[in-house]
Order: sequence, then structure tokens, then C-alpha cells
Amino acid sequence: MSACAQSRTESGAHEMPFMDSARLARLAALSRSELETLQLRKLRRQLARLHGSSAYYRRRMDEAGLAVDALASLDVFRARFPVSTKADFLADQTAHPPFGERLGVAREEVALVTMTGGTSGQGQEIYGRSQRDIHMQGYLHALPWFLAGLRPGDIAINCVPAGGLTTGGWGPGEGLRIAGATAFHVGGTLSTDAKIDLMQRIGEVHFIYASTNYLHTLTEAMLRRGLEPKRAFPTLRTLFIAAEGYPVEWAERIETLWGCRLQEGYGSTQCAGFGASTCADGVVSPRGGRGLMHMFEWETLFEVLDPATHEPVASGETGELVVTNLSIEGSPVIRFCTGDAARFISHRDTGSGRAWNGIECGTIGRFDDMLKIRGNNVWPSTIDAAVFSYGEVAEYAGRVYTSADGKTEIEVRVAFTEQAAGADAATRAQSLEAIRTTIKERTNVWMTLITCARNELPEFSYKARRWKDERQQGYRL
Amino acid sequence: MRNAYDAADAAARDHLILSRMLADAEVLCGTRDALLAGQYHHLRGRIAALIELTVPIDHEEGAA
Repeated sequence: MSACAQSRTESGAHEMPFMDSARLARLAALSRSELETLQLRKLRRQLARLHGSSAYYRRRMDEAGLAVDALASLDVFRARFPVSTKADFLADQTAHPPFGERLGVAREEVALVTMTGGTSGQGQEIYGRSQRDIHMQGYLHALPWFLAGLRPGDIAINCVPAGGLTTGGWGPGEGLRIAGATAFHVGGTLSTDAKIDLMQRIGEVHFIYASTNYLHTLTEAMLRRGLEPKRAFPTLRTLFIAAEGYPVEWAERIETLWGCRLQEGYGSTQCAGFGASTCADGVVSPRGGRGLMHMFEWETLFEVLDPATHEPVASGETGELVVTNLSIEGSPVIRFCTGDAARFISHRDTGSGRAWNGIECGTIGRFDDMLKIRGNNVWPSTIDAAVFSYGEVAEYAGRVYTSADGKTEIEVRVAFTEQAAGADAATRAQSLEAIRTTIKERTNVWMTLITCARNELPEFSYKARRWKDERQQGYRL
Repeated sequence: MRNAYDAADAAARDHLILSRMLADAEVLCGTRDALLAGQYHHLRGRIAALIELTVPIDHEEGAA
């Protein structure tokens, strides 16, 4: 944590969520064995219910010969219950539209419909949530925010676009209501400058929720206007980000500029909200380097598996997050392969004293986003981390294409901040070469970097899509 | 130690109140007033979720 952020947050009671909630204190005090006993009980209840209400899951249990009454341990569940993939869900909902046989509640009980983003190109999963689930979904947003310092009566700014068909569109609003906050849902409805104007009119702001990329855009816009965030919003207690990776250097700069801690959550439609968060610890470890997100394992059963073998990865290794909802009743997921790549940290190694397993902050990626470039596995999140470790960069975009002579080429267009763009040509060239070298160090791929104006690149209001793979087009005749 | 007992007592009390509320909400859901029916279901859903979120943890462990 930056020194400035430390001075702002050291004295606040919001730093001690386990003192402000007896229930959280109890959950934090559970031993690993007690936590797993709790998980097993909830899992049995969930599977027993689904055996009666979901033909999709009943078939999977019956084919695996899994009798819920005889489910003796989580290990038996992990060993025998078959995983589901996006393709399984899409096939189910195609055969039984619109929700598929996995729904698990009567169609009349569905009070909120959400869908996944469809960015994979395979299709969109559809989820039907009950009235009870809507509250649970709100809770699974409010929980990490409470841990991060949000308290009843606080003023919160939600920069994520509200409504629509996504969980991220509905969960935050419900979460902020449940938390007892006064929320301004500015995402998607106001320009960045209009958001800043409104925030200045409000004056007293305690909490900001935004995608990683949008917090970057917001900060950039404030600096462009000559506003120092920590002076403009001295009551701000928490910045909370989600959805994308970032370099530690960027996080430290953000904490310094805003004068408060940066917190992060991992969530998804399949988790029905957040499944893990930094709690009150921040994304930068007190020892330097990346912090950890701690999993809410009493609500969501997480496995971190090698995507090829489906064997659990060891602490410190990267694997695919496989999730099971323990408390959601409408369209629950049971052993769903998310495609999300995370570095797993065992509860024994988190240093938190709690029995909750963890995942590393700022490095969540997608296995299916991976670009295979000249034999190297390259994740956009890795390139993001390399490029944004340079404070001179405002935004960038990349494309992989096939050149006229059939070679794979990679072009990265970099837009410098206003200040850096005003530097002399030699300084700019030096910066560009330094970024190029850092990308090579982290990906093993040399890329061609060119500069462009900031307004030539898009502004992302939620998840950034910075990479295009145009190689197929190069082979068209 | 006393604080732990107090918290456990409070959790048990809250859970009991919510359980009674859920039973009452179930009765309300039987209404023949179509305008109110959806709202009562909404209320029941909220209470059901709160029950899930407030089940005394020690009770859950014991029931496993």
C-alpha cells in the first residue's frame, strides 16, 4: 500500500470488518475442517434439491452413480461428479429453450434473467434467477464491499453500466441497496467528464466501483482536467475494481493518486456475483508485490484445476477455476469450468490466519483468450501488465495478423498520456523501446510498437477488448 | 468468550424471527389478489435469502 493510502485508511473502523460483523468473525474463525463440513452440508442440500428439480443434474448424478445420501466427502464429489462446460450448457438450452433442463426452479419462479457476455463467440449462457437468488446475488456483491469498508449510509459511485442482461448490470445495484449505501449508478449513462462533474457536486464520496480499465480511464480524465483525485475526494475510503488484470506498479500509482486503498473482487455470472475479494487487505501486499483475493467458500465451492488433466494445481500454480454454487437455486452451476485462469494460493500460504483459500490479485486471465503467437502462449492480461507498468501509457490496442509474405506479425498501437505525448521524439522512442523490451521479457515475443493519439483508441466502460486476431483474414484469397 | 456467546444468541434469535416471518410470508403468498401476489413472492424470496444468510453457523456444522 502506498504511504498516502496508508495514512488515510489506518485509523478507520472499516478496516476491521470482522469486528463490525459477528457473523463474518465466526466465518473467519472456522478451521479448515469446520469450513469443509459446512460446505459438504450445503452441497448435499443443493444436490438433493437438484436431483428432484433439474433433469440435467439428475442425469449427471445418476450416470455417475452418485447418491446424495451417500456423499461422504467433498473428495468423493470432486472425483465423481462430472464437470460441465459452456458447450454443455449451450446444448442443454438449445434442446430445452430458453433455460435448459438445468434451471432447477419452476419457470414461473424466475424473476431475473441474465446472460453471459457472448465474447467467446460460442454463444451466450442464459440464467434464470429466483426472487431469493436476486437477494443472494446482491449479497454476493455487498459482501466483498462490506469487507472493503463500505458501510450503511455511505455514498457509492457505481461506474459499471446498470441493467441489461448481465449479472454485472443487476448485481451491483442490488448489492449497494442491501449494503445500505446511497448509490449513484453512473455507469453507461454519463460521459466520463459528466461523471466527474457529478461526483464533484456530490462532494462526499466514500466508495467507487469500476472495472479496472474504467478506473484507469476515470483517473486519466481527472488528471487531464488538472484534478488530483485525493484532493478532489478526500472522504473516499475504497476503490473497488474487478474484471481485468493490471500491473502492481499501476495499482500503487492509483493508491497514491486517490489516497486510499485499492481493493479487488473476482466474480462472474456463474458465481452469481463475487466469489472472492481482497477483503480489507488491498491489492498490493504489505510485503510488496501482488495481494490476494480470499474465497467466500461457504457460498461457492471453488476448485483450481489443471485444464488438461482436471487435477488440482498446487499452491502457487495457475489453474482453471471450477465453481459450484452452494446457495443459488435458479440455474445453479455444479462443477462448472469457467475458463478463468487464476494463480491458486492455499489457505496455508495466505498468511491471513483464515481457512479461506486464495487467488492472486491482478492476474486473472482467460484460457480461451490466449493467443498462440509463434509457438508461445500469450495472454492479453500479461501484455496489459507489461504495457501499463509504464506510467506514460494512457491506452493501447494490439492486433495479430498475417503479413503479405505469410508471416505472423504483431502490431501494438500505444497512446501516451498528454504529458508523455508532449515529450521530445527521442524520449518517446526510448519509452516505446522500453515497453517493447518488457513485453518481450514477459511473453517471449517481439512485437512492433507504434504510437497513436489517445482519441484513436476506444474508451472502454466495462471490460476492455484490446486485442484482435486477424490472422485468418491474411489467408483469404 | 462472553461476546462469542452473545453473538451466538443474537444469531439464533434473528434466525428464529426470520423463520417465523417466512411462515407468515408463505401464508401471504396464498392470496387471490393478483396485484399483491407478485409482491408477496418478492417478500418471501427476500426472507428466504436472509434465512440462508443467517443460519447459525454452529448449527449448520452440527447438522452436517
